[in-house]
Amino acid sequence: MSIQVRNIFKRFGAFTALDDVTLDFPTGELVALLGPSGCGKTTLLRIIAGLEKADAGQVLLEGDDASDKRVRERQVGFVFQHYALFRHMTVFDNVAFGLRMKPRKQRHAEQEIRKRVQRLLELVQLDWLAGRFPSQLSGGQRQRIALARALAVEPRVLLLDEPFGALDAKVRKELRRWLRQLHDELHITSIFVTHDQEEALEVADRVVLMHKGRIEQIGTPEEVYRQPGTPFVYSFLGAVNLFHGRVDGEGVRVGGDLLPGSAQAGGPAEGARVMAFARPYELDIVVSEEPGDGMAAKVSRALSFGVTTRIELEGLEGQHYEVELTRERAEALGLTVGQAVRLVPSNLRIFEYEEGAGI
Amino acid sequence: MARSTRVLPGFGPTLGLTLTWLSLIVLLPLASVFLKASNLSLSEFWNVVSAPRVVASYKLSFGMSLSAAAINAVFGLMLAWCLVRYRFPGKRLVDALIDLPFALPTAVAGIALTALYAKNGWIGQWLEPLGIQVAFKPLGVLVALVFIGLPFVVRTVQPVLEDLDVEHEEAAASLGAGRGQTFRYVLLPVLLPALLTGFTLAFARAVGEYGSVIFIAGNIPMISEITPLMIITKLEQYDYVGATAVAEVMLLISFALLLLINGLQAWTARRTGRDR
Repeated sequence: MSIQVRNIFKRFGAFTALDDVTLDFPTGELVALLGPSGCGKTTLLRIIAGLEKADAGQVLLEGDDASDKRVRERQVGFVFQHYALFRHMTVFDNVAFGLRMKPRKQRHAEQEIRKRVQRLLELVQLDWLAGRFPSQLSGGQRQRIALARALAVEPRVLLLDEPFGALDAKVRKELRRWLRQLHDELHITSIFVTHDQEEALEVADRVVLMHKGRIEQIGTPEEVYRQPGTPFVYSFLGAVNLFHGRVDGEGVRVGGDLLPGSAQAGGPAEGARVMAFARPYELDIVVSEEPGDGMAAKVSRALSFGVTTRIELEGLEGQHYEVELTRERAEALGLTVGQAVRLVPSNLRIFEYEEGAGI
Repeated sequence: MARSTRVLPGFGPTLGLTLTWLSLIVLLPLASVFLKASNLSLSEFWNVVSAPRVVASYKLSFGMSLSAAAINAVFGLMLAWCLVRYRFPGKRLVDALIDLPFALPTAVAGIALTALYAKNGWIGQWLEPLGIQVAFKPLGVLVALVFIGLPFVVRTVQPVLEDLDVEHEEAAASLGAGRGQTFRYVLLPVLLPALLTGFTLAFARAVGEYGSVIFIAGNIPMISEITPLMIITKLEQYDYVGATAVAEVMLLISFALLLLINGLQAWTARRTGRDR
């Protein structure tokens, strides 16, 4: 089912949680709402579910205005960060709950309910736990049961609120892959909220980046990572080096140093205050003390494991930089701690300076 | 048996101490009641404890105590819910007020209630024209017992409710459960053990209550005499043996009822997987 939200506003006292949010979630996609805590992503999810009421705006489910519909009428499956399993019921009864709560006329016979629950437990690969109570399960198992419970009522949409937030790193990775597989099997329109950029990029078809109650960028994981649209998105997705300076020709002047770049026409004007970004693998190190192209810095640490070598450097004013080089390149340079070098970007993204852009 | 791997050892000493303490504080006084009553022959004993006036007092005492505990269970749950789930001005004050029936000398409570519910009292004058008499009637006993039993249910249910996430209700609603269903199948089973504990405590307190009741009850034989009053009456007539005989019956009934409620509680706990 398609979901559309139109001009949603929501305040909690003086805090604006959502500020004019308009979004389309196409049918069958797995979308991630990504952002730092307090960006409004969970509030948006709860408004879509009907657990929270927007101050203004509309939620359209399959084109129908659902703003006045209650949670139970919206046919949404909701999965909570802390599972919210009914602790006084067995795993089986938890999954069967939604089926047993149906009005008598629509309710299936107990035998049919048993069959369905059994099938769902097999789907989440936990049918051997049917008789246990939630307290006897691990976190990962609980979340899978919570998902089976939400799927039992055959929801038109699946909403997941930080579903892996309370799990440890290893289980989290496993469940991520498993959720992706499950989605590929069921093709149910799903939205999940996360603050973990790796999780969002790895699992979702489409990522919606939110910041301070507004949408910063929407796109496939590849798009938002390769072409970040705003300084916030750039700094939020993955490691990044930030330079504050002014536009100077095609590059950026930072103090006495000039970073070569490719400032496009229509971008910030000559002399304008800007923020320039380069990913660690988009910087090269040149051994030279001559003032010229590149940013002066001092090597403070070199970490070489895996295919690349990560070099941490300190700028003249104490800024922290990170460069990723191939092992061969690093060995050829033969860097030592404390050595003065220059950083030369191979790719530099330049944005107009913004106060508190989330960096 | 395998060696215990508990962090805090000491099953032996603690059990020993527990039993000794319980014997000294509870069992010894109770045993003396039974000992004293055993001075009566069986038929004498039966005559004392089955006298119509005494039997009427059992009915009143236990009937009203159970009713009061039931009323407190319902309204105590509502009060606890209100205090845990909502924020309102004066919440702390209300929270503190709940414990007041604990602190007030029971005689004071009795006098205050009597003054309120008497024919010319603040509340009584409005009830009188409606044909409802509270003071000096069995209904008065109920009012007093509800008053003194109020804190128990609130205080036992409150921590459990605080522990219960709103998420459970939201989950139930998202699964299509109505409000009634959510209460019946999601909230109540979790609250029931605490609710039963509160009910038991309120009941036990009500059965033993004396001070507040005798003022408002009017103590009319066969109508509004509670069993503790019967015991005091016998004591005042120097009928120590008779008093202990009635006390013994009261003890046995109370014990049987408490045992029954505890059994019920264990059953609900087992059914909901809490004792695993």
